[in-house]
Amino acid sequence: MLKALFQILIFPGVLFLFVFGLCGEFIDRKLCARFQNRIGPPWFQPLADFIKLVSKEEIIPEEADIKVFKLMPVLALTASSVSILYIPTLAERSAFSFNGDVIVVLYLLTLPTFTYFLGGWYSRGVYSMIGAVRSLTQLFAYEVPLFLVILASALLADTWSLSGMVAFYSRHLGYWFCNIIGFGVALICFLGKLEKVPFDIPEAETEIVAGSFTEYNGRLLALIRTSFNIEMIVGASLLAAVFLPFGLNLWPALIFPFYLLQVLFIIVIITFLRLLFARLRLDQMISFCWRFLAPLAFLQVILNLIFKAVLPR
Amino acid sequence: MGMISKIINWSRLKSPWVLHFNTGACNACDIEIIAALTPSYDLERFGVVLKATPRHADVLLCSGPVTKQIESRLVRIYEQMPEPKFVVAIGSCACSGGVFNGCYNVAGGINSVIPVSAYIPGCPASPKAIIDGVVKLLRSLETKERKSGGKK
Ligand code: SF4
Repeated sequence: MLKALFQILIFPGVLFLFVFGLCGEFIDRKLCARFQNRIGPPWFQPLADFIKLVSKEEIIPEEADIKVFKLMPVLALTASSVSILYIPTLAERSAFSFNGDVIVVLYLLTLPTFTYFLGGWYSRGVYSMIGAVRSLTQLFAYEVPLFLVILASALLADTWSLSGMVAFYSRHLGYWFCNIIGFGVALICFLGKLEKVPFDIPEAETEIVAGSFTEYNGRLLALIRTSFNIEMIVGASLLAAVFLPFGLNLWPALIFPFYLLQVLFIIVIITFLRLLFARLRLDQMISFCWRFLAPLAFLQVILNLIFKAVLPR
Repeated sequence: MGMISKIINWSRLKSPWVLHFNTGACNACDIEIIAALTPSYDLERFGVVLKATPRHADVLLCSGPVTKQIESRLVRIYEQMPEPKFVVAIGSCACSGGVFNGCYNVAGGINSVIPVSAYIPGCPASPKAIIDGVVKLLRSLETKERKSGGKK
């Protein structure tokens, strides 16, 4: 009981994710600044933003549905931080692993998007409603290829648990190479999930102010920002566990540093990608996802079926 | 309690998010504000981020004289910002009405409509002057806080 509480609240649960999320945000912003030849924010910037937002006055729009408006950020934070419990961080097995936890993690990572939709919709601002609808529309575009490639990887490993997949791929290091297309597709879809450039259509600042979060302020905005950070960390851990399983069969003390390195590696790649591109239009994004990403994901599934039949296990 | 309010005050000084609002400027001041936010001046060093909605902002950067038409909108935007909030008047027009003072359609400087915390004169105020003004505003808040023993 105590152990479970520790795992949920401290490591690898909320506290660890919160701190790691702040570090991730800092790395993202600092790299972005360095790419633009700037000095960039100091190391405590995300923390200062968080404390400031928490201590600000809270304004709730008159027409908003107060209950939904207040509940949604909390729900987003909960959903995104619970999913880390099924991803291996400290050892080859995750804290609460069971056969089928891939699906639970994917489901839990979808929940925040729905909460952003509901929160935006029930704040009843024009901009937040447009942003909410856009984030839901975008969801249908990136979710399918993302699920397909992760499930393709599970297919090759012949297991539905993340820990099992990690164990399989760290025993057969070469098999990592089979999933290389899937890794690329998953990275691009992940940009859509985090609503980053080029897929930041739901919160396009120059068009619709701040999307679903236009009406949020103070504590609730701080929760939303935190849940975005945590989503980034959890998503990166998921990609690391599925596609980069190096190091988990190493000496036990090395597993955790290796895990951190892998997550940071994915965050850096995502920052590169977001700085390289400009924002797409919603229809361009959807046609890109369905025309290129989804066929590639299908190709990955077919390839993995062939590999499974041909390669020795 | 002292410790907590000190941390809160520190965080407020380190992360001023700004909202830019043109109350009727001739556009030169706005160009200078935008220039101050570009990478070559790098305001993110001080934690300044441009926000598009008053609900996220801490500092309202106003440029230009307040025209009669925009007066009520300015008040509305000001009231949508959560406390604690500050207003900075940028450019001679925003400080006093400038050359437009006394026009049939002008209500006056920003301070004739909403309370202003800092004035940055200049026609237009240069980006360096704007940065200097914002830094001075933040510094004055720090000393004020120290004098009142961390209480607001
Ligand atoms: S101060 Fe000068 S530059 Fe600025 S709005 Fe007034 S006239 Fe234009």
